[in-house]
Formats: sequence, C-alpha cells, structure tokens
Amino acid sequence: MNDLREEDSMKNRPTVGEILQAKGVSRRGFLKYCATTASLLALPPAMVPRIARALENARRPSVIWLSFQECTGCTESLTRSAAPTVEALIFDAISLDYHHTLQAAAGEQAEAARHAAMQENDGGYLVLVDGSIPTGNPGFSTIAGISNEQMLMETVAGAAAVVSIGTCASFGGIPGADPNPTGAVSVSDLVKDKPIINVPGCPPIPMVMTAVLTQFLTFGQLPELDKLGRPLAFYGQTIHDRCYRRPFYEQGKFAETFDDKGAKAGWCLYKLGCKGPTTYNACATTKWNAGTSFPIESGHPCLGCSQPQFWDKGGFYEPLSTARFGSKEQLAGAAIAGAALGVAAAVAGRRRQARYTKEA
Amino acid sequence: MDLLEFAKGPALQFAAFVLVAGTIWRIVGILMLNTKPDYSEPRKKAGYLAALKVIYTRAFTAPPFKKATMYPKMMAYVMHIGFFMTIFLFVPHIVFFEGWSGLDWPGLPNNVIYFVGVATVISAIALLVRRLTSPVLKLISNFDDYFSWFVTILPVVTGLLIPTRMLFSYQDLLAIHILSVALLLVWLPFGKLGHTFLVFITRGTTGMVFERRGART
Amino acid sequence: MSESHSDNGLESPFHGNVRPILNEVLHAVDRLLDSGETTTIDLAGLPFGPGELEHLESLLGTGEVTATLDALGESRIRETIYPGVWWLEHRNAHDEVVGRYIEIARTPGILSSQDADIIAGRARLGEQFA
Repeated sequence: MNDLREEDSMKNRPTVGEILQAKGVSRRGFLKYCATTASLLALPPAMVPRIARALENARRPSVIWLSFQECTGCTESLTRSAAPTVEALIFDAISLDYHHTLQAAAGEQAEAARHAAMQENDGGYLVLVDGSIPTGNPGFSTIAGISNEQMLMETVAGAAAVVSIGTCASFGGIPGADPNPTGAVSVSDLVKDKPIINVPGCPPIPMVMTAVLTQFLTFGQLPELDKLGRPLAFYGQTIHDRCYRRPFYEQGKFAETFDDKGAKAGWCLYKLGCKGPTTYNACATTKWNAGTSFPIESGHPCLGCSQPQFWDKGGFYEPLSTARFGSKEQLAGAAIAGAALGVAAAVAGRRRQARYTKEA
Repeated sequence: MDLLEFAKGPALQFAAFVLVAGTIWRIVGILMLNTKPDYSEPRKKAGYLAALKVIYTRAFTAPPFKKATMYPKMMAYVMHIGFFMTIFLFVPHIVFFEGWSGLDWPGLPNNVIYFVGVATVISAIALLVRRLTSPVLKLISNFDDYFSWFVTILPVVTGLLIPTRMLFSYQDLLAIHILSVALLLVWLPFGKLGHTFLVFITRGTTGMVFERRGART
Repeated sequence: MSESHSDNGLESPFHGNVRPILNEVLHAVDRLLDSGETTTIDLAGLPFGPGELEHLESLLGTGEVTATLDALGESRIRETIYPGVWWLEHRNAHDEVVGRYIEIARTPGILSSQDADIIAGRARLGEQFA
C-alpha cells in the first residue's frame, strides 16, 4: 500500500517531531524515543537514524477504536503498555478520536466525534477493532442504536487500514467458540476491500499492539504479514521455538503434574497440555509486563490464545499428541467386521482345500 | 478443519478401523483353515511350547547360513530395532499412547531418538539397495515388497523432518507425518507388512510341525 | 521481578543466553580497539530464562562511571567493570523499563550533546545578554 503520509487529509496535521518539540522534549530525548521505538518494532539499533528521520516527518494519524463483542481485556492490556505509555500514545503519537470506553464524550456527542474524524481524515484514518461481530441477530450487540456490523462497515469505508486487536476481532475468539450462539465472525470475515492487520492474543501482548501502531506511525505502512494476516515481526515464530524451557523438551524432562519435582524445577510443560509448538506469538521473547514473565515461565502451559479457534482445539490440559480417533464402539465394530470377513475367507479357503484334498 | 485436525481426527480414525478389521480378518481367515493331515508317525508330541521355542530361535541364523546372511541380518536388526525405538521411546509418541491406553513409560532424550531415526533410514536404504542390486532378490521382488518398504520408511523420514522445520510449517509437517502413519496402518494388515503379527503364527506353526517330525528347532 | 528457582539445583541460572552475549561483547570490544567501530546490543526480545538477565547484569557489574539521563523518563547509564562496555537502561515517564542495551563504545552516543539542543541552548544563552 502507499505511504499513508502522502494522503491529502494527513498533510495539515502536525508531525510527531513538531509535537515533541512543542512539548519541550530535547533532541536527545527524541533519540531515546527512537531507540526504544526500534526495540519495540524488533528492529536493530542500526535503524535508529532512519527511524528518527521517519518520525520527524510522521504525522499523527487519526485513530478510531471500535469495541464490539469483547471483554475489554484488549483495551485493558493496551493501557498497561509500557512503551510508550498509553497517554504518550494517545496524546503524542496518535489522535484517538473515538473510543467509547476511554473517551470522555458520550452518546450523540461521541458519535458526532466519530463522524467528524471520518470526514476530516477521509482515506487516511486507522480503524482499530476489538471484539467479534455478531451476525446472527443485529440486536445481539449494538452501540448508539446501530448494530456492530453496520458501525463496522460504515466506519471502514473511508479508512486507510483496519487493525483487528485481539483474537475475537482477528478470528472470532470466545464468542465464536462452539456453538457460537451469536453467529460471531471476525473483522476479516466481513471487510474485504481494506488492508487488515490481525493482532491476535487473548489479550495480545501490550507492546505488540503499540508496536503495530508505531510501525504505522513511523513508516506510514503496514508491516509484513503472515498468511493469517499477523505481523511477522511478532508472530513469525512459535512459542516452542523460542521457549527457554526447550532444552528440557529435548532432554525428555517433563513436568507430569503441576506440583511435582519437574514442575518445581521448571521442566517442559508439554505433557500438561502446552500448545507452544502450534502457537505463533512473541510471548517467549517479548514476554509480558515489560518483560517480566510469560505463562510458561510462571508454570502454566500455553493456551495457544493467538491461534484461530483455540477454544475448540481440545482441552487446555490435553497434550498436543493426544489422539482423537476411533471410539471404542467403532473399534469394536471394526473387530466384528474383521472377524466376519475372516470367517468368510476361511470358509472359501476350506472349500478350496477340500477340493485339492479330493483331487489328491 | 485444517490439515492437522484432519490428520489427527478422521484420517487416524479411518486407519485404526482398517487396521483392526484387516488384522482380525487375516488372523481369523488363516487360523480357521484346515490343517493339512500329517500321515507320518509323530516323533515327539508337539505342543505350544515348541511353537514358542521356534519363535525365539528363528531370531538367530542357523550356523551354515550365518556368514552369507550376516550383512542383511545386521541391517535388518538395526532397521527393526531403530524403528521400534523411535516409535515407543520418543516422548511425544508415549504421550500419544498414554492418551488412549492410559499406560505411561519413560522415554529417551529427543536427540538420541533423532540419531536412531537416521540410523533406521540409512539401514533401510541399504536394504533397498541390496534388493535392487542382488540378481536373485531383484527377480523375486514385487510391488508388495517395494510399497511395504515405502510406507514403513515414510513415517520415519517425515518424522525426522519435523525438528528441521524445513519445507513446511511445523503444523503441516506434523500433519504429513500423521498422515504417513495412517497410510502405514491402512496397508499393514495386507501384503507382506502383515508379518508384523503373522510372523508369530508362521514361526509357531513351523515349530510345531518340525517338533512333531523330530527335526531340529 | 520473578524469584529465582532455588529448587532446580543450578547454581546460576543457565538457559544458554549469557555466554553467547558475552562472546558478542568480546568481539565488539575487539572491533572498537581495531577500528573505533561502536556496537549496540539490544537485550529486548532475547528468550532469557528466569534470573538470566539479572545474572548477566551482575556479571558485567558497575565500573567507574554512572550517569542519569532525565528525558521522557529516567535512563540509567553506567560503565561496566569492562571499560568500553556500557549498560543502558531506559525508563519511561511511569518508571517502567522500555529498553535495555549493552553499548560498546568509548562513550555511549546518548550521553553526547546533540547539535539541535546546543543551538537551541545557545539561543537561550544569547538572550541573557539582550
């Protein structure tokens, strides 16, 4: 896609460099900001000068945040983001023009703000969505009197790109789990003509969410995505391939229960149902709470929360190797069928034997 | 349903069904046949003990043939032992068996299993080369021999590919591996791979016949 | 911070990350001495096990110089016990760590005064004489 900073609607907005200068941030402070941004985007320190040039020219994009069938965990997670702080993000880096949970305005004023932002920034604003969208009955989830689906489609019409925050918006999440009573679908199930970035996780790692927004801000473009639409920088590796407990997996040292010797020694949690091998996310490297820890490090197997339909992939405590085949009744049936065929074969065989014996 | 779910679910289900039905079919079909009447005087009373004895002694080559068969015998032992080690002593496999049998047993470190797996593949290739280059073997080998070789070695090769993460994603490599196992299980009861369970019947029968005739077992 | 696991029988936390990083530092110091080339190692995104980062930090220790930077939050910069090897920790306005680096240089770049700031400061200084 084109560099969004070239959009006409963006040219009147102040650049990030101008905003920080107006706030009295020194060049040195700006360089510190660029260094930590490089870290955040998983870019090497050598890229810092390029990021500095990019941020000097980057204009604050207008961001509209839509919350649908969600638990608000993604917003909660984002507000815990350390780098930059959410206030810094909201006030300096982006212009959060609509977020019905965080914003002060309410009711018609809020909807007016949304429409104004859409009009002023036509073609250049970002839409962030958390929560799945029900299609079973529009009344299942409404905001300001209109259905989620209607609000989504009318808001993305003039958007530059859409970011699905969390597994619900990316893949359907909990509402979409069996039996999916509301007919919940993901953003990409409904929006077909706009670039979509999926940032899944239940919730996503705060820094990953910020990084995606910062990437957009800094380079005016979307990051490289995998075949499920997730940024490769954070979802390119499985937990298993970056897990610090991997050597224990290879050595055959597994925790069998949650409080045995192996569990206390920090051995591999594969036998306790860890979905690390089939889960793509940055938990093992970026970790949570500014790099403090992640579920496996805290002793709990990975749930696979950034994968589609992770709620319906067998139990959280069922090891990945578990077979789900052949009910006992089915195999008993197979045995009987085999025996029947065997008897039939034997009868035919005996007849042939009798013939030969007679001939002799 | 993605490839991995299909492999772990319906594919293995179908394979298990065919394995059970096919194995019982062959065993019942063979055991229910009439035994050829033996009109000679029995030298010794043959019982199941004789059967068990020969199942064991056939593992060792009779002295006159030892030298000539040493090489293929060694290769076959490496292949078979390696094959069963990779199946039953690799921890993710043990977890799989525990899932439906409830039994658990200790495994070997993964790197040891990878090494054994490679040894299995090399010995299998050596045996195939022998089959293709020996004039006698080449003459008497048929589709069954080659196909049985292929479906046996494919799971080992696809299994070894998984830790390399080469060619496909982990999920797809795992799915391909499980599908290759399903293929093996479907073919196993039929053709020469049936020796997995038939070898005990054939050796046992030989033992009882030989014992009755007073031949060396 | 996570507690170190005292039951695992390991004297120092080992998950295979400390030695390669120290080796990288060693080679970076060689480059610094040969050609003056500086190196920055970003410690974010490395799969440290519990206690490993702390172990690395304590191995490198504190040398003769400690500096504090106050810009968009506090940053703590210090030379380690190996001259030329600096440990940098950037925090944001809420005192949360947002970056950790090992920089191999004669002085870390962030400590140098920037031209734009010098120019702005000179303007303010000039006003003293207005």
